[in-house]
Amino acid sequence: MGTKRDWEGQPLDLNPKDTIMAEAEIEPARPILSIFENFRDELDEHHDRRERIIKKSRDITALSKKIIFALQRVRATNQPLPPKIAQENQTRFDQIHALFEEVVPEQLGINGWRYQRQISGGIQEFIEALSFDHYLRTQTLITHAECSARVPPQILVSEEDYLMGLYDLTGEMMRFAVLSLSSGNASATQLTENSASEREKSTVASSQGGIVGDLRAIRAGFEALSVPQRHYMFRDMAKKLDVMQNSVEKVERAAYGIVVRGSERPSGWTPDLSAAVEVGSY
Amino acid sequence: MIDQRIFENLQTKIDEETTVRDELHEIVQKLARRGRSTQAILSRAHSTPADQLKPVLDDVTKEILAQKEEVTRLKAVADQHPFYKYNGLWSRELQNLVASIELCAWLGGLQEHKGPSSTSFMTIEDVGKFLDIPVNLKEQDAFHLTIEEYLLALIAMVEELARLAVNSVTLGDYTRPMQIGNFVKELFAGFQLLNLKNDILRKRSDGIKYSVKKVEDVVYDLSLRNLVPKGSSSA
Repeated sequence: MGTKRDWEGQPLDLNPKDTIMAEAEIEPARPILSIFENFRDELDEHHDRRERIIKKSRDITALSKKIIFALQRVRATNQPLPPKIAQENQTRFDQIHALFEEVVPEQLGINGWRYQRQISGGIQEFIEALSFDHYLRTQTLITHAECSARVPPQILVSEEDYLMGLYDLTGEMMRFAVLSLSSGNASATQLTENSASEREKSTVASSQGGIVGDLRAIRAGFEALSVPQRHYMFRDMAKKLDVMQNSVEKVERAAYGIVVRGSERPSGWTPDLSAAVEVGSY
Repeated sequence: MIDQRIFENLQTKIDEETTVRDELHEIVQKLARRGRSTQAILSRAHSTPADQLKPVLDDVTKEILAQKEEVTRLKAVADQHPFYKYNGLWSRELQNLVASIELCAWLGGLQEHKGPSSTSFMTIEDVGKFLDIPVNLKEQDAFHLTIEEYLLALIAMVEELARLAVNSVTLGDYTRPMQIGNFVKELFAGFQLLNLKNDILRKRSDGIKYSVKKVEDVVYDLSLRNLVPKGSSSA
């Protein structure tokens, strides 16, 4: 190595940068490449794991949707499910459980939260199915602890996933209520039963216990939750809140239709829900 | 019947989480404020000839050390919670800090913290040792600097160096663009080894080639006019 000179040919005094450059010249680029090869391996491992989890999450979502479809064929609440549907769904719940078991090794320790976003979609859909199943059988809301108990203990069920699952549940309840009404089975909604027997009163006050009352209670519960805006917690919440409010209103309108026009209702009449039936599924 | 306690419990959890986030947020804010002043001082490098850089680097080092204290505070709080749950709160500011550290080291500051490796920049291990935080933890759930954050910081540094190449010429320094050119190309070769997916790292690292081009244009202009100092021609 000769003396480093600046552009005017004057020897440069010992500038630290030049030492760095000198070192780089002696060992050209080798260390950088090996450092980046190491990074590449780490990132590949991360991406592979991420994709495996996303696939599992999609499978769980698909199975959960099938469970929900099957449950929409049920016509009564607060009693055991028809054996055929119960059996079909049990198989699916078992499959989902197996899928969750496969995710467990990917989500150990620090990786639980690292890949939370990837599995979260599946968990939310699963909670939607689970809570709908629970609601139809018992007419109560499933708790967060009960949801956690249905997946392997290593799988995180965040409050956010639970809450989002419940939001989607309101969509299913809406569909269920409307379907029950349109198929002429008024017993699924306590409200219509009451109003049918006490039609002369035309009141909706005696609706507690029915889906309409439950939906209202859920809506009130959701609306009472205060989530600070400043931390971007529960990002989808505003949208879900909107869809949920629409769902509740649709059922309320359907119930109103039964009360007001119930007596004139020809057989085969379906409630007027001119707005498209939206079911929140993200 | 809907049990309203379900919603009460949710509210409790939301409130707990808000408290945690508020606490972390407050520290990150301080880190960010100090980060801005670090960057403001560091940007004086664009208008300071290389041989007068020492006082600037001393000032930057002071600010960086102040930021390091905030990182220590952040670590103490963050270590009580799952790392990836809250990582997003500080990731950006930590990246900015690492970018400042790298740039400061490249300009000749922080030399005592550079590891024995023959790289011309601080490795992720060097940065971790300097900030006194672990790096790339895969098992243990604790505060650390992730590979992605480190790489994003390098990209930010490259962008800043591209600007410096232009400004060095304005200051009459024709050596530095050559050094920057060599270094940026080395890093670019490194980044090309990565298999990037469609994420933030991909998006940002796509920008490196523009930085490389910017520097190469400067080098080209200089060599075309025979302004390249002898002994520092670009590789």
